[in-house]
Amino acid sequence: MTTDAAKPGPARSGLPISILLAGLSIGFFVVVALATGEVSQLSGQGIVGLLQRMVALGLVSIGQTFVILVGSIDLSVAALISAVAVLASHIMQGDPAMILPAILICLGLCLAVGLVNGALVAYGGINPLIATLGTGLIIQGVLAASFGVLQGAVAREFQVIAYGGLLGVPYSLLLLAVLSLAAGFVLDRTLFGARIYAVGGNPDGARLAGIRTERVTLSAHVVASLFAGASGLYLAARLQSGTPWIGRDGIYDLESIAVTVIGGTILAGGKGGVAGTLAGVLLFASLDAGFNMLGVDAFLKQVLRGAIVIAAVAVHAIRTKEHVA
Amino acid sequence: MTAALSMSGISKAFPGVRALDNVDFDCLPGEVHAICGENGAGKSTLMKILGGSYRPDAGTIQLAGTTVHFTHPRQAAEAGISIIHQELSLLPHRTVAENIFMGREIARRGLLDKAAMRRKAAQLLGRIGAEIDPQALVSSLSIAMQQLVEIAKALLLDARIIVMDEPTAALDERGSRTLLTLVQNLRREGVSIVYISHRMPEVMAIADRITILKDGKKVWTRPRDAAPVGEIVRAMVGRDLDDFYPAPPSSPPGAALLAVQDGTNAAVQDVAFTVRAGEIVGVAGLEDSGKGALAQALVGDAPFSSGTITLRGKPVTLRAPRQATAAGIGYLPGDRKREGLALHQSVRDNALLTLRSMAGLLARPQGGAFASNVIDGKLREMDVRAADFGQEIGTLSGGNQQKAIIVRWLAQASDILVFVEPTRGIDIAAKAAIYETMRSFADSGRGIVVVSSDMPELIGVADRILVMHRGRISGELPRGASEEDIMHLALGLADQPHREVHA
Amino acid sequence: MTTVPLPSSRRAAGIALNAGLVIFVVLYAAIALLQPNYLEPGLFMNFLRRAAPLLILACGQLYVILTGGFDLSMGAVATLVVLAASILINGDPDATWAVIGTLYVMGIAVGLVNGLVVAFLKVPSIITTLGTMLLVNGLALAWSGGAARGDLPDNFRNLGRLVWRGVPVIGTLPLAVVVIAGFVALAWWGLNGTVYGKRALAVGDNPRAAELAGTPVAVTRILAFVVSAVSAVTAGILLGGFSGVSVNAGEGLELQAIAACVIGGAQLLGGRGSIWSAVFGALSLFALFTLLNILGLPQALRDSIQGLILIAAVGASMWRSRKRN
Ligand SMILES: Nc1ncnc2c1ncn2[C@@H]1O[C@H](COP(=O)(O)OP(=O)(O)OP(=O)(O)O)[C@@H](O)[C@H]1O
Ligand SMILES: [Mg+2]
Repeated sequence: MTTDAAKPGPARSGLPISILLAGLSIGFFVVVALATGEVSQLSGQGIVGLLQRMVALGLVSIGQTFVILVGSIDLSVAALISAVAVLASHIMQGDPAMILPAILICLGLCLAVGLVNGALVAYGGINPLIATLGTGLIIQGVLAASFGVLQGAVAREFQVIAYGGLLGVPYSLLLLAVLSLAAGFVLDRTLFGARIYAVGGNPDGARLAGIRTERVTLSAHVVASLFAGASGLYLAARLQSGTPWIGRDGIYDLESIAVTVIGGTILAGGKGGVAGTLAGVLLFASLDAGFNMLGVDAFLKQVLRGAIVIAAVAVHAIRTKEHVA
Repeated sequence: MTAALSMSGISKAFPGVRALDNVDFDCLPGEVHAICGENGAGKSTLMKILGGSYRPDAGTIQLAGTTVHFTHPRQAAEAGISIIHQELSLLPHRTVAENIFMGREIARRGLLDKAAMRRKAAQLLGRIGAEIDPQALVSSLSIAMQQLVEIAKALLLDARIIVMDEPTAALDERGSRTLLTLVQNLRREGVSIVYISHRMPEVMAIADRITILKDGKKVWTRPRDAAPVGEIVRAMVGRDLDDFYPAPPSSPPGAALLAVQDGTNAAVQDVAFTVRAGEIVGVAGLEDSGKGALAQALVGDAPFSSGTITLRGKPVTLRAPRQATAAGIGYLPGDRKREGLALHQSVRDNALLTLRSMAGLLARPQGGAFASNVIDGKLREMDVRAADFGQEIGTLSGGNQQKAIIVRWLAQASDILVFVEPTRGIDIAAKAAIYETMRSFADSGRGIVVVSSDMPELIGVADRILVMHRGRISGELPRGASEEDIMHLALGLADQPHREVHA
Repeated sequence: MTTVPLPSSRRAAGIALNAGLVIFVVLYAAIALLQPNYLEPGLFMNFLRRAAPLLILACGQLYVILTGGFDLSMGAVATLVVLAASILINGDPDATWAVIGTLYVMGIAVGLVNGLVVAFLKVPSIITTLGTMLLVNGLALAWSGGAARGDLPDNFRNLGRLVWRGVPVIGTLPLAVVVIAGFVALAWWGLNGTVYGKRALAVGDNPRAAELAGTPVAVTRILAFVVSAVSAVTAGILLGGFSGVSVNAGEGLELQAIAACVIGGAQLLGGRGSIWSAVFGALSLFALFTLLNILGLPQALRDSIQGLILIAAVGASMWRSRKRN
């Protein structure tokens, strides 16, 4: 082969997009804080507050990143978040002794939902949008129908997750940090991670290379559901009791997909990572915080959010020569 | 000597097709066993059964005397079978090393050892003579380089049996030669090689034995010495193919149809040439010579950034394929599946795509020139074989798909056709038919630019051959040039490195 | 290769048609079994009248689905239409027709934005239309102040409500049914009476191949989004007619429209489907809702059953096509 062909360079990681996005987000936040005179927002506490806005969306989105990387998608996370939040408060009924059982049962539910989603997609061959839209609807319906029966509140001790902290850093933030690092490590350094990229990048090729692609897809769905569960538990701790609508009202399904794509993970699968996703989440958090400081009203905030979602993806999508649909 | 591989009584049916019918096949250690057959004869299916992708409806597989049953490609790999599939199966967004180790990563307790994989990847690439950085992203590599990565991937296993399903289809002359040397080396190491190709010279050069498949049935297996090319072709096609390449035109070319001056963009520099009425102009060159980019520029897909294109004496701007289509330039892309076909649409709709795309939006889709019987007539004239032109084009053999795309442009009444690798992966009978069409298209006073890596093809069909090297036209050869002449220019060994060519 | 006649694509489309039709007939038969008067023309017309918005949305959504995309913004557009109509008409019946014109202009603008962003900025449609969904919803709410304001005059509401009585043969004829007939006929004509339909299928199947064959890919995509937006405006006008002004008039309709197309046999990500997929899919879905109402199931469980049917319908078609292979 001649050497003057394509320039083989080192592999580009997802880092540039994530750093760019994070820089923009923080820049926006700082500028707004200075402009509105809310300098207190720039103190340690203010920053922690900003980062804490990331927790709920951040947790779901990490899970969403796994399924999108594997070439699938999960629309059931919003309903699952609601289910977990409601279930956790129902089981605990304020009793600290029930904290552990509640968490286990909730994660058990997530495991089950993840397995069902994964089985429908990987073994049933059902389009993931339809499969997870379906399971989401099922969960949402059951939840809404049984809302009258399921009431309760989480134990006060459980709320420490949302309100307690270590050396001024909230536990929730630590949780997000640890889980992000773990997810990043899994994707980058482990066999499971390599398989996820393989299956997402070229399912037929992966199968021919001897990978049991169905299992990988299934596992990714379980991961997504478990992360949605973590997010639901966090929300339950923050709000003291879950309602059947918190997931839907937070549009966690579509927003988790949006931040993942904003972070550079492509919907077709096989390219992207957790760092970009977190940067996307940070963007949303900074926008929220910034708009609050500016006193933008709730509806206008939504308008801006919509525009920014499009713009943020357009920034890196526009360079592609490939067609998107 | 027990056969390394022995398949007996293999049958496999797909909906509507008996792909394999009671086929026996075996391969000895250190033997190169070639399989020849028309498109859709069942070659790949047989190998996919061996590789565990498909389960046979009937028949047994034995490896070194032991019967095996594969239900997943993984099991075949573990049994020492390695397959280079006809379709590339790489991960575009991952590195070369990651691709080579896909599914067989070096890991300890689930943790990847990336350094070891990089080292081993570099070693494998070195072994096949590919100068590719293991850290490069696959999407940054040319198709030919990607094919080399596939080959490296297949060598990783230290397999006892290696299947190569049209490994040279995407390679240029030099890549092919390297591959053939590699095959010889592997054979010497005692590896059994199953080699599938539509290129007869290759088969004759390396095969120890040859098996012919036709319509899913085995015709015969013979040692190479007992199988002259004529016999092979007759067994594959079912008749003789004497005049494989069409006769040269009887009259000299007419007025200039297409002229390019100083065509320059990122991939080509100062390209200048003319195509006259009645001419087939070949473009040769190695993979990275810019010959593909030249075609893309002519059809507005990757336009020239400077320079002029004139059609019948009038300057034209071709900034998008639609403009080129409107100007009367048609395009047969090199990558049929990705760039040519709407696989799930019918043969008819694929053939009508350009006509319908260029018509007014409110034109009726079945009216006038779009009527089924009109296009069916054209498809039949081109000898596109399908049970029903309403069937999805994805179910047709490669040769028939290619013919249907050609019909698309014939229906559009284009003046100039730009063909890229028109017979890549296409069987010998369909090749002959395509050459025939090209000739008669040109003879009707229009012109063809044909870009190809298949040198015998260019020599056989082109009236003139432009040879490219590093983005420039390094020379022009008349009809009757030899492969050596072309290679000489393609490697940039010409006395004058750059010569303006005006026909 | 012994060639046996393969299922032609025309026959494949026929199967898709039958899938939606069969599901509809079965569900409607179940309804009639429980409430025999649903077999009377009057009640059937009424059924059609209430199904009209979903049916029209599904036809619009189908255009986008054929080209390989999604339109998540249609529900928001429908909401905007209802709110904007009440604000703009402001109780003055003379303004109705001018306002309806304005509504279509607004809708077409949204469709154009969606199409231009997808075609030129290369933002995947799921993200683009999520963005416009947020944006349009926010605008609608900001404009109306977040609450339903004003009332719609009768001549506007009649479009959804008016029923002619004493019509020969069928007895009653709702205006909405005439609107459906007109809209479906137009949508059918667009796909089957012009070359547009074939272009859309090719673009959805393989945009790159279509582009190289001379298809105006961008225009084809943009038109699909415009048709989808026009259908959303039409549906919004009908919705305003039946149910008056509310801030969540169109909520969730986009997913129902997608589900309807898929139940009817259209293929997500493009390349396969016909207008009958949309029509019979929507009728099936609406028959399902009606059936659940008649069965007296809690409103909330409707979601669950919808989810189940969705998975079952797609699963069944997957299973059938697998069995054929
Ligand atoms: N997955 C499949 N589903 C349905 N039919 C198939 C499938 N794979 C192959 N076929 C059909 O089986 C027959 C044999 O195909 P196969 O790919 O083995 O041919 P081949 O000899 O490799 O041809 P080529 O030279 O074009 O590669 C063809 O008619 C093909 O259309
Ligand atoms: Mg083959």
